[in-house]
Amino acid sequence: MPSPFSRLSPALEPHTQLAEPSFDTKRHVTYWLRCLKTFLPNVYTANDSNRMTFAFFVVSALDLLDCLVPHTTAAEREGYAQWIYHCQHPAGGFRAFPGTDFGDRRSAQNECWDPANLPATYFALATLLVLGDDLERVKRRECLAWLAKLQRPDGGFGETLVNGRIEGGSDTRFGYCATGVRWILRGTVEGPVEGVEDVNVDQFVQCVSLSETYDGGISDAPFHEAHAGFTYCAISALSFVDRLPHGAKTYDQNAREDDRPLAGLSDLHATIRWLASRQTATLDDDDEVDTNGDETDTPSTCHDAHTFVRLRGFPSEQGEQSYKERPTSHLDLQWAGFNGRCNKLADTCYAFWVGASLDVLHKAPIASRPRSRRYLLDRTQHPAGGFAKHPGDPPDIYHSYLGLAALALMREPALKPLDAVMCVSVAARRCVDGLRWRRSIVGEGGGGRGEEGEEGKGEGVTKGTERTEGTEARGGESRPAAPSSAGTTASASDGFAYMAISGG
Amino acid sequence: MPKYAEDPAWEDVVPIPQDDGGPNPLAAIAYTEEYSEAMSYLRAVMANNEMSERVLDLTEDIINMNPAHYTVWLYRAKVLFEIDADLRAETEWVNKTAFRHLKNYQIWHHRQLIVDKLGSAEGEADFIARMFEKDAKNYHVWSYRQWLVRRFDLWEDGELEAVEELLKKDVRNNSAWNHRWFLVFGKDQDGAMKDKAVTDREIEYAKAAIEKAPQNQSPWNYLRGILRLSAQPLSTVKAFASRYASLDDADSVNSSHALDLLADIFAQEEGAEEEARQALSLLAERYDPIRANYWNYRASLLNGSAGEAKAKGQSAAA
Repeated sequence: MPSPFSRLSPALEPHTQLAEPSFDTKRHVTYWLRCLKTFLPNVYTANDSNRMTFAFFVVSALDLLDCLVPHTTAAEREGYAQWIYHCQHPAGGFRAFPGTDFGDRRSAQNECWDPANLPATYFALATLLVLGDDLERVKRRECLAWLAKLQRPDGGFGETLVNGRIEGGSDTRFGYCATGVRWILRGTVEGPVEGVEDVNVDQFVQCVSLSETYDGGISDAPFHEAHAGFTYCAISALSFVDRLPHGAKTYDQNAREDDRPLAGLSDLHATIRWLASRQTATLDDDDEVDTNGDETDTPSTCHDAHTFVRLRGFPSEQGEQSYKERPTSHLDLQWAGFNGRCNKLADTCYAFWVGASLDVLHKAPIASRPRSRRYLLDRTQHPAGGFAKHPGDPPDIYHSYLGLAALALMREPALKPLDAVMCVSVAARRCVDGLRWRRSIVGEGGGGRGEEGEEGKGEGVTKGTERTEGTEARGGESRPAAPSSAGTTASASDGFAYMAISGG
Repeated sequence: MPKYAEDPAWEDVVPIPQDDGGPNPLAAIAYTEEYSEAMSYLRAVMANNEMSERVLDLTEDIINMNPAHYTVWLYRAKVLFEIDADLRAETEWVNKTAFRHLKNYQIWHHRQLIVDKLGSAEGEADFIARMFEKDAKNYHVWSYRQWLVRRFDLWEDGELEAVEELLKKDVRNNSAWNHRWFLVFGKDQDGAMKDKAVTDREIEYAKAAIEKAPQNQSPWNYLRGILRLSAQPLSTVKAFASRYASLDDADSVNSSHALDLLADIFAQEEGAEEEARQALSLLAERYDPIRANYWNYRASLLNGSAGEAKAKGQSAAA
């Protein structure tokens, strides 16, 4: 265990140049093309019921890498769209996988076991958009009518409708997918559209507010622990229904508040503090370190003490001088990922959940992007392409996609810019505005998410920050590459649903 | 190796193979024959709404391979209730399955259905304790535990003591801190926040934990949460926070969270912007440089800062 005394402040760091890590485009392209064109390894059977979500990851990853069109034919892309439409439910919405389809043995008596699935419906629509489909074949009215029926009296949404009962959890993941579907199919217009009832937006906003926690984060249900995945889903859902608080619309907190309908996030400052607190240099179990000898730590505990830099402990000025001359573990502060909950380890996916949350709130510059980038590229990027959950793990589709998405948010040059709310490329998100049928619903300029200046948000700050951080002091300690474990075999390590609940 | 096709017990069933929708399926998985076959039989019995003992075996088979299947669990629950199966045996089986699939969501919902029907939380505390031995921060287990407390009115049933035990083992277990909050404030938050005896007790509890590990954010968050929701000014803990961070002795800060709190306290104090700025700059430059951008952002919000222009300048100087 490293001594806490070995921590130095950046002011004392030796000013030597640390090689900036590089994004290995070619290997990522190889990884994702393999996911698209060959069977996923058998280990993904545990996620068979999440196939639509994985379809989204695969197609959207290739789009972010800007190699979907170059590496597939128009006929293939139409074939992928047909597969998605094959999963469209006769009564609206989409199945999450073909495995529940009874074919010609489907009847009124057994259809309850073959319901449409809410996350699958969002990911199906998003994937179709990425594929360049115009959504003309989507049963839009049926889908929206079904969506309204998935809303519970408390305002939250369930996952499926089985025998008239709303099944599945009641957390913000479903709220995210529901508001996403609604936004794609009918923009931010409130009230009935084309004779189809709207969901109750006020009630939904209320429901999100009740899941805010005492520390400023958001959980899956009232009084549950704050979690970055649920926090992202809640914030983005509020963006989809244009109910973010005014302070979230600009980096400038002195801007004037205007009159708005009921907005979510009762304490924006607390939420921003909670999000900022997620960045951590505690990347694996070896990073645990005491700040005080008398603390009641257990070896299996990780905590944020690691990122705390204290000077007092130097035994002497001499000792301090000697540390000045050589690289020590303080360098670890140059690699900082994000955790999903307080006092947990960093995990690739939270670089997206947290980074994107801040981005949606127009506060992206608050995270240290260079540190996050180094963490992703040096620690969890896999030599065979893709990203792992933790350093040394094999890559899997879920973490690989969110690693890419996190980098795309940080404007990684090899990647297309990302729309933080939809989690697709900005280019794919723009396709929504171009849909002819949608214009007649939302109007020519409507259906936005109340976002102004989307392109340049916080840009000035970001650039200034990155430049400066880029010249921060470093030493020459070379980082070991992530060990190759499974090689080309991806692993659905979590058995997670479409968004890891328990990661990190 | 066909399992069901050669089993006489299943010979009456006509399996429904999967139609994967044309030549370009997405996220196609290299299914084993075993899985494909079991799924074909599952579709067949579901299509017939069969409620039988053998369906339980089949759903168990599927769940072992694909625990995230969202209707197989609902179907299994329906069968259990329809054929009046032994629900105690079911919880035994769920126990085993939970250990194999620690991060599966559906299993917890299923457990809730069964235990709700059984009408008793007997044995659940032991089960949870064993789950916590594997991972004391498992989100599903904590959520389930909250449900148990509400469903069986276990508020006063040794829960607080159990949490204290977990916090003794690991004072940084934020899930345990959150559960404590739930136990104290979950029944009637507004009422509890008005009860000075309760908030004082909880503030003291948080302070004692901070004393043990000042750089542990969990109790600082707990403390701030109580102050915010009981509308007590942050300044009431100024002296306490100063024990771990002081601008007068900037070399011996023992907690970045104390410094953070002091920065907020100074920011609210008349004429103390300079102190707030100093605290934030100590955080940005010395004690928590990872979050330098955040601390500089906070400085940009102080009175006398010119909003965005200032924030830009300060971030650039970070």
